[in-house]
Amino acid sequence: MKDWIIALLAGGVTGVLSAWGVGGGSLLILFMTGVQGMDQPLSQGINLLYFLPTSLTALVSHLKNRLIDIKLALCAVAAGAVTTALSSLLATGLDTQVVRKIFGAFVVIIGITELFRKCPETRRPDEGTQDTPRE
Amino acid sequence: MLSDKAKSALAGAAAGVVNGFFGAGGGMVLVPLLIGWVKMDQRKAFASSVFIILPLCAVSAAVYLLRTEFDFLRALPYLIGGLAGGFIGGRIFGKVPTKLLHRIFGILLIIGGVRAIAS
Repeated sequence: MKDWIIALLAGGVTGVLSAWGVGGGSLLILFMTGVQGMDQPLSQGINLLYFLPTSLTALVSHLKNRLIDIKLALCAVAAGAVTTALSSLLATGLDTQVVRKIFGAFVVIIGITELFRKCPETRRPDEGTQDTPRE
Repeated sequence: MLSDKAKSALAGAAAGVVNGFFGAGGGMVLVPLLIGWVKMDQRKAFASSVFIILPLCAVSAAVYLLRTEFDFLRALPYLIGGLAGGFIGGRIFGKVPTKLLHRIFGILLIIGGVRAIAS
């Protein structure tokens, strides 16, 4: 039960971060593997699954606000669907410890860029009222 | 010179590689590429990246579910917590200074990443 509540809270906190455009997913994966001792593919699978309903709600408001460049986005989806299928196959076929170490290197790089990035650029345009466009 | 469509396709391909391999981080690759390379307006880039990443996550999630031993019971609290957190975060978006959060986030990633490499 205690583990269940901790998991619920960890999901909640990283969910809030994700909604603010602070990549909560990679942090959640680190928590699941590093603190909870879950294996890398399970943690990654959970994060992927979790993104589906969460982003669907955000997408509805973006579509309403006509914020999506559909033509260009569909080009990206077509190419990305192929590469993501291949890289998922690769990641689930490799030794989990190897994937974990590569993931570690990836998040260290992301962490360094987060330390030095200019913050106004990271705001996610949401319902659009509080957010002032830069130009 | 590549057309915008070709550039967008390449950006999507790069995001797909990251998204599938790490199960996260596709947006972190995609958004800067859409803004800096495809020259998409910033707000559109964020919104379009959600539109792009969603189907990529669906494809990757299917592969992960089929090829790994997926434990739904262990996944459940994270999924419930994440949904609640995302909803709350969306409501109070823009009312919280995110600059400090990004710095803390960066430090946590570096610590966690180093631990993962050393594991």
